[in-house]
Amino acid sequence: MADRVIFISTLILAAVYFYATAQIPMLEIGDPLGPKAFPRLLGIGLLITAGLLLLEMLRAKKVAAHDAAPKTPLAWRHYLVVGAAAIWTGVYFMVFEWLGYAIATTFYLLAMTMYFHKGHPKTNVLTSALFSFISYFMFTQLLGVTLARGLLPF
Amino acid sequence: METLTHILNGFTVCLQPINLWYTFVGVFLGTIIGILPGIGPSAGIALLIPVTFGMDPTSALIMMAGIYYGTKYGGSTTAILIRTPGEAASVMTSIDGYEMAKKGRAGAALAVSAIGSFIAGTIGVVALTLFAIPLSSMALKFGPAEYFTLMLFAMTAVASLSGKSPAKGLLSTILGLMIATIGIDLQSGQPRYTAGIPEFQDGIGFIVVVVGLFAVAEVFRGMENLYYGTAPQMIRISGKLWLTREEWKRSVGPIWRGGIIGFVIGVLPGAGGTIASILSYTTEKRLSKHPETFGQGAIEGVAGPEAANNSDTAGALVPLLTLGVPGGGATAVMLGAFIMYGIQPGPMLFQNRPDLVWGLIDSMYIGNIMLLILNLPLIGLFVRLLYIPSGILYPIIVAISVIGTYAISGSMLDLYLILSFGVVGYIFDKVDIPVAPLVLSLVLGGIMEQSFRQAMTISGGDPVVFVSSGITVTLVVLSVISISMPFILPRLKALKSSSDDAD
Repeated sequence: MADRVIFISTLILAAVYFYATAQIPMLEIGDPLGPKAFPRLLGIGLLITAGLLLLEMLRAKKVAAHDAAPKTPLAWRHYLVVGAAAIWTGVYFMVFEWLGYAIATTFYLLAMTMYFHKGHPKTNVLTSALFSFISYFMFTQLLGVTLARGLLPF
Repeated sequence: METLTHILNGFTVCLQPINLWYTFVGVFLGTIIGILPGIGPSAGIALLIPVTFGMDPTSALIMMAGIYYGTKYGGSTTAILIRTPGEAASVMTSIDGYEMAKKGRAGAALAVSAIGSFIAGTIGVVALTLFAIPLSSMALKFGPAEYFTLMLFAMTAVASLSGKSPAKGLLSTILGLMIATIGIDLQSGQPRYTAGIPEFQDGIGFIVVVVGLFAVAEVFRGMENLYYGTAPQMIRISGKLWLTREEWKRSVGPIWRGGIIGFVIGVLPGAGGTIASILSYTTEKRLSKHPETFGQGAIEGVAGPEAANNSDTAGALVPLLTLGVPGGGATAVMLGAFIMYGIQPGPMLFQNRPDLVWGLIDSMYIGNIMLLILNLPLIGLFVRLLYIPSGILYPIIVAISVIGTYAISGSMLDLYLILSFGVVGYIFDKVDIPVAPLVLSLVLGGIMEQSFRQAMTISGGDPVVFVSSGITVTLVVLSVISISMPFILPRLKALKSSSDDAD
């Protein structure tokens, strides 16, 4: 199933890439090849890859028909957990500049550790706040790295 | 004679107190990164690049190389004590190393991996020192067509060897090259595939991609394991951190053989430390009088692979330094770092900046001595890192990734990109698409297109230029072989077995 999706996505991507390459305006200066030649080669490479993917799929089908393994039901709950973690990371980035690195990171770490390191609320609160503020001061004050200040006055 | 002077001068560079300090910082961080699961050398080096801005390039590169070979030492500790390779190349060590630990010989397993790593690491650096000059003089003859075909070979080799499916490896390679075409085309000044977003005009930085694919994606995978409660149990170090006379006798051969195997595999593009250690493991098993002990805690199964994955790092620096073409993910990130400092590795570097090249190479002799000390008498301190609960460690890795990415550009778009590449990396892992080829081709993409266009300009648009010299023909043939072999070999085997059946 996954391989079929990869195969079709590769074909769609090749089509989109060819279309986007055709949209690059041509100015006949500089080198004779222009900015489109190399991308066209890549598009062709992608089509060849799609062909190889198909070949592998057909071969896998033969092998699978040969020794059909019993199918196990696919667990899916972990995808929800990973999806939620990704969304929470997205929320963290959205408020990053507004709240600033130190505050946003404290909240981010707190929620994450509360879920993934259950049963240790004190450790989680302390680690989240200490890591965020110490790393903020270490990088901005000692190493001169710029991080978002946000609501903090310093 | 001149070379010898350069090599000796390299020592005066790397023995300067500031460079000794950065060698130490590099190998120290490398050991930590190696021990901690969830972050490997590629992401580790990429995350440190912003901190090194403004540093002397020699010191910065010495530190990055230290991280690279230091991770191999650290990775074995995790493999031995919790049966999880802290770094991909330690995967073979986790088999017999963990079995040794279960039998109360964790101390001996850690000792043999540190000593084996040191001996093989040093063999690797000696070989690097010897091979660098002849290879770089050969590379001086390379024109754009030779470079293009060399990169083609590096990419096809990485594509076909990185994962289970060569077609998926190739897909990953082409995706990397496509990402590299985003931004202003340097020769014509035309914006390409920027979708009207101004930040894309400079292209997508490799650091963003590496951090997303290697650090953030790894965090997602780790969180998934935490959800299922599959976090492994750690075995405490027991017994002396040394070998018995008999264990030592059994380890010497595997260390030497592993050192040589690792270096050779390291020089070749594509294979890398994981394959080097697998090859060493199977070699030792075949040579052993008691192959049945492998998998039950055979010390040869720790000594050989650990030696191999360490000398592999020195081998991998050979094509990077002499040709400017890396053969894997971590060395690709190092090339990216070189370029960010305005330094192009390759044959000219040996002529123009011998102080930098030899300072870097010679620092590896010293770094290996430091690593032996860090990983033998001081290993007890590092082991404490394994007590950090993964539920705390993984979110912190995301925060460190944010610092590393945001510090470079101050761009919010880059943060969204590391998240996107993190999700992509997680999905790629689920569907067996390897990510190392993508990183390699992303870093090389710009140079590859430039060589292609230069070669075509020189030849007046005639593509025959890519098969016009002995070197280009060889490289094109090797590229075709490396991509087609995985498809042809099974057919040949099937044919052979059917003819055997007929007999």
